[in-house]
Amino acid sequence: MKNGENYSKSRRSFVKGIGASLLLIPFLQFCSDKIIQLLLRLSGTNHLLGHRLWVKDFPKPTSQIHIPYLIVGGGISGLSAARQFHKKGISDFLVLELEGHLGGNSSNGENQYSKFPLGAHYLPLPNFKDKELLQFLEEEKIILGYDQKGFPVFDELQLSFAPDERLFYKNNWQDGVVPKEGNSKNEDLEFQRFFKLMDTFREGKGNDGKYLFDIPLHLSSEDIATRNLDKITMKEWFETNNFTREPLFNYIDYCCKDDFGLGIHYVSAWAGIHYFAGRKQDASSDKKESVLTWPEGNARLASHLKKYTDQKTLKNHLVYEVEVENNKVVAKAFDDVKKVSVEIIADKVIMATPQFVNQYLIKDRKEFTKEFHYTPWLLATLTVTDLADNFSFPLSWDNVIYDAKGLGYVYDQHQSLNQIQARKVITYYYSFSSSDLKKSRKELYKKNKEYWKQFVFDDLKIAHPDIEDCTGQMEVFLLGHGMVSPAPDFIFGEAKKQASKNIEHKIFFAHTDLSGISIFEEAFHHGINVVNQILDETTLDS
Amino acid sequence: MGKKFLKFEFLLLFAVFVIATCGLVYELVAGTLASYLLGDSVKQFSFIIGVYLFSMGIGSFFSKFFHKNLLNTFVEIEILVGLIGGLSSVILFLLFESVAYFQFILYLLVFITGFLVGLEIPLLMNILKDKVEFRDLVSNVFTFDYIGALLASILFPLILVPKLGIMGTSLFFGMINISIAIALCFLLKRELKNNYFLKVKAIFSFAILLGVFVFSDTILAYSEGKLYGENIIYTNSTPYQRIVLTHNKSDYRLYLNNNLQFSSADEYRYHEALVHPAMSIAKNVKHVLVLGGGDGLAVREILKYKDVEKITLVDLDQGMTKLFKTNKVLTDFNKGSLNNQKVTVINTDAYIWAKSCKEKFDVAIIDFPDPSNYSLGKLYSLNFYQTIKTILQPDAAVVIQTTSPYFAPKSFWCINKTVMQVFPQVDAYHAYVPSFGEWGYTIAINGFGTTFNQVNRKAPGLRFYNYQFDRFNYFTNDMISNEIEINRLDNQILVRYFDEEWGKLQ
Repeated sequence: MKNGENYSKSRRSFVKGIGASLLLIPFLQFCSDKIIQLLLRLSGTNHLLGHRLWVKDFPKPTSQIHIPYLIVGGGISGLSAARQFHKKGISDFLVLELEGHLGGNSSNGENQYSKFPLGAHYLPLPNFKDKELLQFLEEEKIILGYDQKGFPVFDELQLSFAPDERLFYKNNWQDGVVPKEGNSKNEDLEFQRFFKLMDTFREGKGNDGKYLFDIPLHLSSEDIATRNLDKITMKEWFETNNFTREPLFNYIDYCCKDDFGLGIHYVSAWAGIHYFAGRKQDASSDKKESVLTWPEGNARLASHLKKYTDQKTLKNHLVYEVEVENNKVVAKAFDDVKKVSVEIIADKVIMATPQFVNQYLIKDRKEFTKEFHYTPWLLATLTVTDLADNFSFPLSWDNVIYDAKGLGYVYDQHQSLNQIQARKVITYYYSFSSSDLKKSRKELYKKNKEYWKQFVFDDLKIAHPDIEDCTGQMEVFLLGHGMVSPAPDFIFGEAKKQASKNIEHKIFFAHTDLSGISIFEEAFHHGINVVNQILDETTLDS
Repeated sequence: MGKKFLKFEFLLLFAVFVIATCGLVYELVAGTLASYLLGDSVKQFSFIIGVYLFSMGIGSFFSKFFHKNLLNTFVEIEILVGLIGGLSSVILFLLFESVAYFQFILYLLVFITGFLVGLEIPLLMNILKDKVEFRDLVSNVFTFDYIGALLASILFPLILVPKLGIMGTSLFFGMINISIAIALCFLLKRELKNNYFLKVKAIFSFAILLGVFVFSDTILAYSEGKLYGENIIYTNSTPYQRIVLTHNKSDYRLYLNNNLQFSSADEYRYHEALVHPAMSIAKNVKHVLVLGGGDGLAVREILKYKDVEKITLVDLDQGMTKLFKTNKVLTDFNKGSLNNQKVTVINTDAYIWAKSCKEKFDVAIIDFPDPSNYSLGKLYSLNFYQTIKTILQPDAAVVIQTTSPYFAPKSFWCINKTVMQVFPQVDAYHAYVPSFGEWGYTIAINGFGTTFNQVNRKAPGLRFYNYQFDRFNYFTNDMISNEIEINRLDNQILVRYFDEEWGKLQ
């Protein structure tokens, strides 16, 4: 209760200061006194099983399954396709998944204190005209209804709680992730000019009446001048537009890595601008840039979609060959639990798998698959007794450290309603932004867990000097092919077009790498569109 | 002889090193204390450093007046620096609340320490000047001086303050300072005159510091008592908060994390105003819910109604409710209310508890700490009140302590407006509680079956509330604020209002 102090006594306020300082001392000791056994675990996507595709030493299939529709891959694209089948009244489909669980990049882990995401961890408020997504969110009670003005009302518990973002910049935490306090005047002006330009791009439409930048990405305008932005890197775009200041570069570099895995030196300028201009911020009258989030990240969304695949899923199944045979599609899969292979004979197959996998399953795809780049990611979930810092701004959902190697960390219990947490659980993110992603991937698997542990600590120490003493557990999670990364000339390039083409109207492709950016919305729409396409064609056939 | 002399020189240079370290530590202690106690750290540190350097200059100036027994003087000064510097933080802590000219004493101590340290370096150079070449002498003395300074400035924030605390640090360095003096007494017994007397002085001073060091916790507690301006009769730290009970004449005061929770002289005003409007307005009062209020004072008021069959109190802090069940002084205040058979105490997080609660209540009394941080802010959110609505009977009354409408009108009306989104009838009222100032409440009815002016029942023997609700819900212009947003988990606008409004007063 009640800061009911008698303010007629001016000295009273000093007491608070002393109180605070006295309180601080035991906290500092609390951290360093306690010697905790650091529990370190290293895990990741099942790359060992996946890599068997190189040699294909699988046993011959011993059984057969006949099914009209087969979905290969249980990430968001595949799950969304399952949902769309269900909506169209079709229930005879099957989902095959390599991992022991569904969700793909939208998966999660859990320890005794909290759930935590193992990849995608938020969904920005959708664009108002994205009715299919709004519909899905309404079905899942993330949108509770619509207000008098027609804006969706989002569930308070699923919008990221305040304070949602902070940045460690010039030795202080500040509100929001855009560097603000301590900028020079020219730096501030440059930020203003940049954001103004982005507003123009966000609202801009081409001669074809379409938005210059839209979500899903294929709805964007064909305007040539805008599409030419895909031919240069973000850094080059800065140079041609006379942006020169470090804080701006640093901030945009963070944004690009956050969404695409690649920083401004390697990412397409079209993609970089899409980050700001693709989201129309029009789904709410006041909450322009809010996001939806959950302790387990987008695994929550995956779990909503999963219900459409009940009794229709084979997990731990690695599909190793897919081809058209006698007017049917034959897919061979290896059951990693029973160590036997199975043959699935389907009318239509949806490959909701990334292209770096597809090239080993289907003939003649290696050539254009070379143009697909995937950034490796490292995630580390830490359980800490305390997150002492200089108290300049309170712990937020997203905590970014300026000029750090990684992208900062997410506080996994932020959406909890509790007053106090016995331990805090945070997840640190690092993307291997480089010109040679293959080399980075090798590095990822070659270095041992002690190396990565120290790497994570060193990066976090910038803001939390005593983090090492406060950490009880660390789980490092390696994603060799974290997400597709839009280097220049990819989004509107030939390879993507080639890879998207269906094969004899029997094998169809749906994955975010066919958009070029790895976001929930793209996967969600790929799933819907591919099912619609299959059903439209079928209707025409008959 | 040469070897022996080397030892002599080395010893004195080591002394320089220690003096420099200690001197800087005293300076940092003074600066830190000044910024803790007086605020405005830039100004305090700037003044302290300035005064310290200036007094060192004065010390250096006066060093030329010392001619005889230089080594003895050196050791004596060493003892004196240790004693004064070591005790400085203790003196400052003890004098803070009671002395009007606190700043004068602060700067006097800084001046004396600086003066003595300033004396030492020139003295030492004079001692060594005939024995070492001047070029080496200057170079060595200053080298050790500056290394000592660096060591102190690094150790101070990283190790000393966290490990020893401010008081411990200055005492500890006082002892180091004097141990050097003692060491010199023993090692240079031939060079020193009156060695015995010097030794006694040094050891005696050391003993004083050691004694104070051992009792520093007690002194800290005593000085904390001074800071509250009252006698502390009880302190207890639970995992959630520090509870301090003070006594001054006939008034007992309870502080949680240094925020006043109640004063026994006027808490009846606060609690009668909190409890009785809702209790008299509600359709029924069989089952009453209290959230927060682990002191049992609200429960004491509720128990005055005979119709009450069951009271459920949910408070996060078991330490707090246990204390108010067992401590004699405190059970006198709440009339042993928490031990009453009708009362069930649940120690858990109220929000989580409410989410899973299956019961329904006739009255809810919500008495949480003010929304001074984002954790507490959740307990004033739209979703929280929606959750509370689900565990209320139709026509139940709910009252919420809503901070001060005078000090924090935006915060006050923000909570009120948020509650309006959830309940069909909402009003606000306030009462004057001398130890808090003007204090306010938001009250709501979960239906239209009763009104705020209806008195369905009365309790006997109230000292403050007279069951005339309309006498309490009038707000003067200086307690009104418009253009307020509602508080949601995703904006926590209330915490920002609160910080802005109470921040101004501190």
